[in-house]
Order: sequence, then structure tokens, then C-alpha cells
Amino acid sequence: MKIRDSFRRAGRSLRNAKARTLLTSLAIAVGAFTLTMSIAAGTGARQYADKLIKSNVDPQSIYITKEKMNDSSATMGPGGLKEYREDALQYGGMTYKTLNEEDINKVRSIAGVERVLPTYFISAKYVSFEKIAGKKFTADVTTYDPTVLAQVASGTLPPLGQQIGTDEIVMPESFAEKLGIASKDMVGTTITLRLSKVANNPSEAEIQSLMLSGRFDEIEKRLTPETKDVPLKIRAVSAKSSTSFSASSALFISDKKADELSEFLTKGTEQYKKYVSATVTAKKDVDPATVKTDIEKRDMFAMTAKDLQGLIFNIVNLLQGIVAGFGVLALIASVFGIINTQYISVLERTREIGLMKALGMRGRHVRRLFQYEAAWIGLLGGVIGALLAWGIGALINPWLSSIMSIGENRILVFELLPIAGLIVALMVVAMLAGWFPARKAAKLDPIEALRTE
Amino acid sequence: MGKMIQVTGIGKVYGKKEQSFTALDNVTFTVPEGASVAIVGKSGSGKSTLMHIMSGLDRPTSGAVVVDEQDISSMKAKEIDSFRAQKIGFIFQSFFVQANETCYNNVALPLEIALIGGAKRKQRVLTALKQVELDDKVNQKAANLSGGQKQRLAIARAIVNVPRIIFADEPTGNLDTVTGEKIEQLLFGFNRKLGSTLVIVTHDDDLAARCDMQVHIKDGRITEITHRKAGKK
Repeated sequence: MKIRDSFRRAGRSLRNAKARTLLTSLAIAVGAFTLTMSIAAGTGARQYADKLIKSNVDPQSIYITKEKMNDSSATMGPGGLKEYREDALQYGGMTYKTLNEEDINKVRSIAGVERVLPTYFISAKYVSFEKIAGKKFTADVTTYDPTVLAQVASGTLPPLGQQIGTDEIVMPESFAEKLGIASKDMVGTTITLRLSKVANNPSEAEIQSLMLSGRFDEIEKRLTPETKDVPLKIRAVSAKSSTSFSASSALFISDKKADELSEFLTKGTEQYKKYVSATVTAKKDVDPATVKTDIEKRDMFAMTAKDLQGLIFNIVNLLQGIVAGFGVLALIASVFGIINTQYISVLERTREIGLMKALGMRGRHVRRLFQYEAAWIGLLGGVIGALLAWGIGALINPWLSSIMSIGENRILVFELLPIAGLIVALMVVAMLAGWFPARKAAKLDPIEALRTE
Repeated sequence: MGKMIQVTGIGKVYGKKEQSFTALDNVTFTVPEGASVAIVGKSGSGKSTLMHIMSGLDRPTSGAVVVDEQDISSMKAKEIDSFRAQKIGFIFQSFFVQANETCYNNVALPLEIALIGGAKRKQRVLTALKQVELDDKVNQKAANLSGGQKQRLAIARAIVNVPRIIFADEPTGNLDTVTGEKIEQLLFGFNRKLGSTLVIVTHDDDLAARCDMQVHIKDGRITEITHRKAGKK
């Protein structure tokens, strides 16, 4: 029997047992649904992660730290008793080994390095806006990254690769919204950062000796934090973006200004000229990976944009794998469903099989007929599951995007090719499951099968 | 006239040693080409086993069967399958039509197995259905047919591939006299028109008497071979 004829006969005999066919294929549909969802979520997450990285990280940039972030020596987690270290910085409840000026210079000397930008932590006590007199706010302050061009709501940004001016600042659109002032009205006005330098705590002996000498003004001076107001002119208001991390949450100042302010804030403290991390930019025609190797030779830990992407993709793949695992479990269950249904079908149609064999049909063609039936069940289940996933995905996608606040990005992305591949794979799985009952059919003795008594 | 079927000293034994049962014992006869033969015997006489062996559905324990100059007792399974598909038509007491398939697809089955497709298949199926007067039921499901119509459908299926031999196992056993008569007329008609050799297995003496030749079987042995007297049909 030709393949086409077998396929048609298989399809017709399934149509004659509609309820059974549908129920069996629904079991596969559950697996197909879960797998389609996991593929869609994986595709969506990777696309989104890719966008995130592209709009936040220059592909030529390398992020360096003194040691690997999750290294056991950089004790993670807040609280607990930790060993004090001269070269370590406390930040956000974590202890980091820091990069010093020497490290930075070592990296600067590597061939292929365009520039090294240490990460400055500039914590302003408060910020105030010229437009809103008398009110104080708190906000994060970061260095403007000239390698990634942000969208602006108002004002202008310098061309790619150029820093903003030393006395300029870029603020996010969300701040303007919060203040209730149109973005274009903010441009050109002033933001003042109030910096407060925590003085070194004088020791008891120091205070005693000052007290004894009667220099109370000196004690007060030592105990009062030194403050400084830094007025900066708003150059631009960056547009809200669902893919840019910092563009929507922090104030941007130039690297020179950041260096200057950091100098003020840390001079005389233990943190002076010590950095948790730094961003290295490789020259245009240099592979960041080779720079990374050079940095690591100098006992620092480096991560390229590609590493970061790999890190995120690893997490996405893991999560996707877990979801897909459930789908595979559902599929395994449905495989037994197919085997069972097809065994019943073979039993029911013993005479029909006997007739076909009597008429000269080859055993392997009989087997093929029943395997094709199983393949049809797989196809039906796959299509039902995929369509269901696609339909439900289309319905819940906007809702998912809104609760994850990723704007117009979609977390479930359905692509035709992988889904078609999945359906073909399901047909193959169904055919393999159908092999056992089909073999029984193929081995049937026509004389026995056609015995009327 | 050539020899269509030559059965030489065949035996069939089921089971082993003490529990063995001899279904056929040293059966020898020859069927001429285009003849109609009745294999007559009571149930359990071995007549069905003989038919299975002659049609290549079963193998004899001993002896040889030569059909249309081919020794089917020494063929490989694959060759026998193809032999049946090309040269044999079957009609059964219980019809064995595919109830859920249309008349067209029932009759198309042997052609699909014999790898005959396209326009040739369609033309042959429609001709066969016309010959058994079922051309008004082409797209009806076989389940909707009466007993007589089902057996006519089975005949159409048996003749569609123009077989050299048609085997009919109690073809009228499940039918009333009038309907059975019609089926007999069709079978003998095709035997004459197409020149197909007709082998009927029956215990109905009247039906057997209409055949050119009667092979009587009892307890696995031929007791008598008779021939129809000229003119009596």
C-alpha cells in the first residue's frame, strides 16, 4: 500500500472513532500546550534580555571587579559576623574586595583598552529642583554612559561616544512626571545635589585631648559632616524605556563630575580611591574577549557583554527547561494513552486486519497503517495544544507585560518554525508510541482473525 | 485447457507429537483453468484448511501446491502476499466488508494493496460496482447495506483486480434463498465472463452440484471427486 493511501485510510478510521481520537489527542495537547508555552516564554525572555543588554551595555564594554561576585570570599547576604578586611568595602550589606588606583592603572595600560571608568558611588543627601522651591528629594546619581544612546523626551544628548558637560545633568522622564512638570519645562533649569561627607569618627582619646586643650569648635567640626551643594543644569530628560534600566530611575552626571564628587566624598576616608567595580571599554576593532583574558591575567575578574548575555540566557534556559520538563512529563503520560487506545483499536479491528492481510497486504504495511493513525493523533494533539497556547498567549500577553512592567515588550513570543518543529516531533513521538500496538496488528494471523466461529 | 491448481499429496498437521491433529492427509487433485470447483464436506472435515492452503493463506505440513505454474508452498512470505494481491479474490460467509468505509473505498482496498492507483483505480472500482449493481451506492457506507448488498460488495472487491482464482467460503451461508440465488448467479457469471477459476467451499449440495467439479472431503481425506453432467446447470 502506498504511503498516501495508508495515510488516508488511517485518517478515515480515526474519524470513525471521533470521541476516542479527540480524547487521546487531548492528552498530547496538554503536553503540546506546555511545551509551546515554554518555547514562547523562552523566545520572549531571550528577545527581551537581548534588547535589555543592547540598550544598556556597549558590546565592547567589560565589567571588572577585584574578584568573582559570587566568590565565597566576598561574603554574600546581609548580617552575620564577617572578618574585617582592609581592602574590602561594605555595600548594600555585602562585603566586596575593591579595586584600587593601581589596579585601574594596570588595566589602563593593557593594549586594546579604550578607557576605564571606575564605578563611583555618589550618594547625595538630597536633591532639590529649581522649579520646586523648598522641597527635598532623594535620588540615585550615576555616571552617564556615552556608549549607549538613550531616547530623549526633551532636550538633546551628545553624539554616541561623547560625554555630557561637567556642569550638566540628565534626568529621567519619570521624575518629571512625579513632580508634575512637563519635560520640556525642566530642560535648562538647575538641579542641586546636596552632598554630605561623613567625617572620620574621631577616637575617644582624640576628643579627650581636644577637650583638655579647650578646642570645642574643633570637636564640633570633627563631628559635623562636611556638606557641599552642587548645582547642575538639566541638559535633557531621558524618555521612559522598558528596556533601559537606569534611564528611568537615576540622575546622570559626567564622568569628570562623578570623579570630582567622589573625590570630595571619600577623601580622608577608608574608601578613598577604592572602587567596587569599573567599566572597561575595548577599542573598536579589538575583541573584548582578548581584553578580558589580559585583565584576568592581572588578578581581576572580568565579564564581557557576551558573558552577561550568556549569564542571563543560562537563567532563561534553566527556567524554560523546568517548564518544558512538565510538558515532557505530560507527553510521557500521553504516550501510554496512545498505546492503550491503539491496542483497543487493534483488538476491535481484528477482522479488518485479517482481511487486509488475506488480500495480500504486507505485515509492515499493516504496521505503518496503525503508526500513521498514531501520527494523526499526534498531529491533532499538537495542533490543538499549540493553538490553545497561542490563543491564551495572545490574551494574557498584555496583562503579563503590564504586571512585569516591560512596556510594549512581549514575554510570550510565538514563532512558527519552532512550533511547527514541535508538532512534527510530537507526530514522531506518537508514531513511536504506536509502534507496539501496530506490531501486534502486523503479526496477526489472517486465518485466526477471519475465523467466524 | 491448462492446469490452474495442482494439489499434490498435501498434508496438514496441527500441534505436536501426542496432541497432534491431522487436518489434511495426502490430498491430491487438479483444477483446470477457468473451471468451477466445489469443495464439499461437513464442518470439521478439513475443507476450510484446504482452501487456506490452496489460496496461500496457510502452508501445508507436507506436499506441494502449484497455482498458475507457481509453487506457492515454497515461496517466501513476501512473495505469497504479493501472489495473493495479484491473483486471488476472496469471498467470505460473513462478508467482511469494512462497515465504516464507503462502497468505493471497500472495493478500492485490493487495488491499493496491489499498488494500482490514479485513474485506473477509479475506473476499475466503478466498473466492479456496476457489475454487481451497486453503482448507485458508491459513496454509501457499507454499514448501511443489506446482507445481500454486502455480499455483492464483497464480490465487487473480489473481482476488481481481475484475479485468476476466486475463493468463496460458504458465500450464501448467511443469506436467504432468493438473495443467495442472485449471488450464485453473479459468481458463475464472472467465472464464465472473466474466465477466473472459481473455488467454492460449501456444505450446500445444491450449490456444489452447479459447479463443474466437486471434491468431497471427510476427515481430511478426499472421498470422491465428481464432475457435473453436461447440460445440467
